Amino acid sequence: MRHVEKQPDVTKAKPLTEPVVLILLSLADEPRHGYALMKDIEALSGGRVRLRTGTLYGALRRLLEEAWIERFQQSDTSREKQAYRLTSVGRKQLQLELDRMKQLTRAASSRLANSCLKTREV
Amino acid sequence: MSAQRVFAVLLYLYPYDYAALFADEMITAFQHGCNEHRSQGRAPFVRFVIAELAGLIIRMPAEWIAKLTTDTSTRGRALPDLRKMRPAGVPYELWFAAAGMNYRQTSLPLEVAQAQERVTFLMNAMVHAINNHDFQAARSYSYEEYRHRDKVELLKKKYRLEQ
Repeated sequence: MRHVEKQPDVTKAKPLTEPVVLILLSLADEPRHGYALMKDIEALSGGRVRLRTGTLYGALRRLLEEAWIERFQQSDTSREKQAYRLTSVGRKQLQLELDRMKQLTRAASSRLANSCLKTREV
Repeated sequence: MSAQRVFAVLLYLYPYDYAALFADEMITAFQHGCNEHRSQGRAPFVRFVIAELAGLIIRMPAEWIAKLTTDTSTRGRALPDLRKMRPAGVPYELWFAAAGMNYRQTSLPLEVAQAQERVTFLMNAMVHAINNHDFQAARSYSYEEYRHRDKVELLKKKYRLEQ
């Protein structure tokens, strides 16, 4: 039987989990290795999210399988410091997620504003 | 038994392909975390170690389920391809005979092509050693691979192949 690799489907825009969004955001500006990712995610979330090593690498494994990120060896680091960077598929997924969040924020703001107006009228 | 040792032992219980790919990085990240929390005092350090070890234990079933349920082609995208590894008992010369034919046909100088082949071989040997839980051998393969990587870089400079 011919071996055919499944291609990642970019059109599927299911909501991402918070650690995944944070990992993608952290890799959006520059490639990072594991520990740098953990520190950056902590800073990005204002100290609210602190990923454990097991959680981080579980998420990285899934993202590698989805081909949203890729692994490469930085020329000046050891094999123990493989770095990760965002692929074009990953960047597109991040953009889709941000659009979804923006849409949700707009809808929520509008609902909240309406409810405030109604409260004042009452 | 040190925290790092317990962490490394727990990684043994993960799927072998996952451990082969991430174990070194995870141990390094854990060591960085330990160093950082140790400087903050004993209580933060102990809390950090317990949280990390608990996290590792909690993630373990999820990784096994992922290994057993993910399509092999999807999983193979990220993890080492064991089919490309030289099986035990097959001589090096025989396994790389075909590769030898290939690099003789490339435009690369033979010296560079051979050095690159050696790096590939050492990488495969290292993954094989990790899969067999022979971490001492894996470490020595890793060291050798490093030396040969440097050699490839030097050879590329010598032949002006940096591009």
